[in-house]
Amino acid sequence: MTTYILRRLIQTLVVIALLSYFCFYVMTLMPGDPVELMIQSNPKITSADVNRLRELYGLDQPAYVRYFNWIKNVAQGDLGYSRTYRIPVTELIGSKLINTFILSMASLSLALLIAIPLGVISALKSSTKVDYLINFFAFAGISVPSFWLAIVLIMVFAVGFPPYLPAFLPAGGTYTIGYEPGGFAGFLDRAKYLILPTMSLAYLQIGTFVRYTRSSMLEALRNDYVRTAKAKGLSRSVVIWGHAFRNALIPLVTIVTLSLSGIFSGALITESVFAYQGIGKLVYDSIVSNDFNVAMVSFMISMIMVLIMNLMADILYGVVDPRISFK
Amino acid sequence: MKRMTTGISIVLAATLTLTSLISVKAAAAPHTNAELKIGMSQEFENLNPLIMSMMATTYMYALVGRTLVYMDANGKWQPQLAKSIPTLKNGGAKRVTVGGKETIQAVWEIKESAKWNDGTPVTCADFEFAIKVAASPNVSVAAKENFTQVEKLEIDPKNAKKCTFTYDKLRWNFSQMGQFYPLPKHIEAPVFEKWSSKKEGYETNSNYSKNPTLKGLFNGPYQIQEVRLGSHVTFEPNPHFYGTQPKIKKIVIKVIPNTGTLEANLRSGTIDAVSSLGFTLDQAISFEKKSKADNLPFVFEYRPSLTYEHIDLDLNNEILKDVRVRKALVYAINRQDLVKALFDGRQPAATHLFAPIDPWYTVDTKSVVLYPYSKREATRLLDEAGWKMGTDGYRSKDGKRLSLPIMTTAGNKVRETVQTYLQNQWKAVGVEVIVKNEPARVFFGETMKKRKFGGMGMYAWISSPESNLREQFACSEIPTEKNGWSGQNYTGWCNKAVDELADKVSAEFDDKKRAALAHQFLKYYTDEVPVIPLYYRSEIAVNPKTLKNMKVPGHLFAETNDAETWTFQ
Repeated sequence: MTTYILRRLIQTLVVIALLSYFCFYVMTLMPGDPVELMIQSNPKITSADVNRLRELYGLDQPAYVRYFNWIKNVAQGDLGYSRTYRIPVTELIGSKLINTFILSMASLSLALLIAIPLGVISALKSSTKVDYLINFFAFAGISVPSFWLAIVLIMVFAVGFPPYLPAFLPAGGTYTIGYEPGGFAGFLDRAKYLILPTMSLAYLQIGTFVRYTRSSMLEALRNDYVRTAKAKGLSRSVVIWGHAFRNALIPLVTIVTLSLSGIFSGALITESVFAYQGIGKLVYDSIVSNDFNVAMVSFMISMIMVLIMNLMADILYGVVDPRISFK
Repeated sequence: MKRMTTGISIVLAATLTLTSLISVKAAAAPHTNAELKIGMSQEFENLNPLIMSMMATTYMYALVGRTLVYMDANGKWQPQLAKSIPTLKNGGAKRVTVGGKETIQAVWEIKESAKWNDGTPVTCADFEFAIKVAASPNVSVAAKENFTQVEKLEIDPKNAKKCTFTYDKLRWNFSQMGQFYPLPKHIEAPVFEKWSSKKEGYETNSNYSKNPTLKGLFNGPYQIQEVRLGSHVTFEPNPHFYGTQPKIKKIVIKVIPNTGTLEANLRSGTIDAVSSLGFTLDQAISFEKKSKADNLPFVFEYRPSLTYEHIDLDLNNEILKDVRVRKALVYAINRQDLVKALFDGRQPAATHLFAPIDPWYTVDTKSVVLYPYSKREATRLLDEAGWKMGTDGYRSKDGKRLSLPIMTTAGNKVRETVQTYLQNQWKAVGVEVIVKNEPARVFFGETMKKRKFGGMGMYAWISSPESNLREQFACSEIPTEKNGWSGQNYTGWCNKAVDELADKVSAEFDDKKRAALAHQFLKYYTDEVPVIPLYYRSEIAVNPKTLKNMKVPGHLFAETNDAETWTFQ
């Protein structure tokens, strides 16, 4: 097991090194640079200013030189400076990563809490009205555009529609501006701002999780060991949760660990609509505006998370199914 | 397929119903001078006045920082930190010869009461320090010339607030120093001394970046209470402000990146107003209609700005080389009808590059060739140019169809609608126009920059009044591979007479003579048609009805330059 993990970790490092250069190189191929954005907002920038700024930012250097300069600084613990926001990347990213982590974990937990029981019920009541109702709910979650759902939630809970409904949640933000009491009151304040984006994100995930749980439970319920367990006279709950559900977990582990790999990537649309201070919009803006340092750090985090979570999934397969071994 | 269509129709119908019914409820909490929450959709950076380049930052900076002069909402230059504006007429400035070079010297005096927000007086040393920082090759000041145009700054030994600026050359606009910001030497000098030798060392370690709430960084009516990049900035009155104390005791500027939710935020009371950097025109028009129907407590202010939407014509294109074709293209479009149909008349049709708020604006036919909508004239010119109408409804010459590509920024709903409108009007005179849009970064970063648009490129110029004509129209500013694709003369229009005029304009000190030269330029511009003018974009702000004295200026100096006068009544 230890050798297997070590080997995978070394592979992961090599993949990260190769992918980081690839991402950097692809970004340099994109047309435009941060100086182009300055020209658009300041009519007084001259051609001489453009050339001077490109030289200062190192944009006149070949991609590999810029990459090695960047990697050298990263190795020294300097993640660089955001050319868009004009502050060090560490200061810019830190709090946003935490916010995104909180939102992603909250929505993932809520989605799992709702989706797994619904998926199991749907499988147990297959082809009944309950099953159809749950499926309708799940498909709606998969099909509803996230921006639409987010706007509807704002209208209902923040604006107050229909008019007889009280508007009791904030339309957007991360916390009440000017109100940072700390402690439990601070927690409650932040929680209030998390409710709508969490509901919006969770609903989108619930549909997928319900469908996965239902199909793997249906598959498991058809197996001989379930029939044997029933024949042995085991209770219904032991048969369902101890035998069928445990075996239905493998595809769920895959989908949940892959979802976990995105917990630091953010949800661009949800964060934008709710003006939530997460990493999603920051990453998008950094790519659009060629803010290399911010984009590269975000890419690295995403890459590392995907690779680590894949490793986690492989390890967890062995935990949920002892027949799987690592050699 | 039918089911899918039905499903989509139901979702759309539900959205429309919800969107229209939402208007029933309005946020109507009475506003007081205790707090004003403004929403904007654009991001901002740190508030170092030398480094800032985003419009949202400039908007916010005017709340906390002032400079020598600014342009008010009526387009007039007014002193801010300066006691008065030196001119040749009032004797505050004079033409001099220094080292054999003719230039300008102006005496500037800073208001006695002007102080940084830690109580330290604003002096000429702060301006001198700003020039020193801007001149450093390791600091990324965008438009360096705003600072380095002052070649020498001599401080009066008896009065630290009085100094003489010697400019680098003769400049008629020497007193328009609206972007020449002072830097607090007593706070920032140690940072600069420590980090100036490192590339971008100063800006990374500046107090504006590391400690933006530090007292002493700002001199405007407000100071910063809290900054959260990407989220909001909270402002409180600066007790050391030189002018009258602001009426509103707290201003919060909140970033709401999704313009689609600005309305919901306004209705829910999350914000009280939307700045000129918020709604798009179509959203504002739609919201205004609902607002009127529901009697909501908001006023909508539209102000035509200096932003000029137009179509650049590639003069290397074989078809467009013929001026008759270019003129026909302008005659064939009904711009008055376009702005009425698409913008409810909220954005005025453009006749040329100078907007109505620019002192150089004119529609006098002695200076401008006007192109009123005339299908007949367009047809005549195209016939004369040899483009004959075919049975397929398109014109052709020597077996080649009169077909032109038109490009703009993909995803820009307004521009794409305008494109469709124009496409139909040109089709009516037999011109085929093929839409080939690209993402903004490709369009500006590659296609326009390298003059690859091939026919027509639709976008906007953000200009300043009495702008420098050289940058966009001089022959030397045509981007080529040889000059590293620098320059902004994307049409490739090269006329030596225009080059000479551009130089004369920048050297003419007399306002009337300068305007006359600009009008001579306009004659060439409108007669040779390197560009098709479309409309001047409007800035839109949505404010509570009870908020007074907030005026959208429509130029680069934001409404926040008068923030101390804002009040709720």
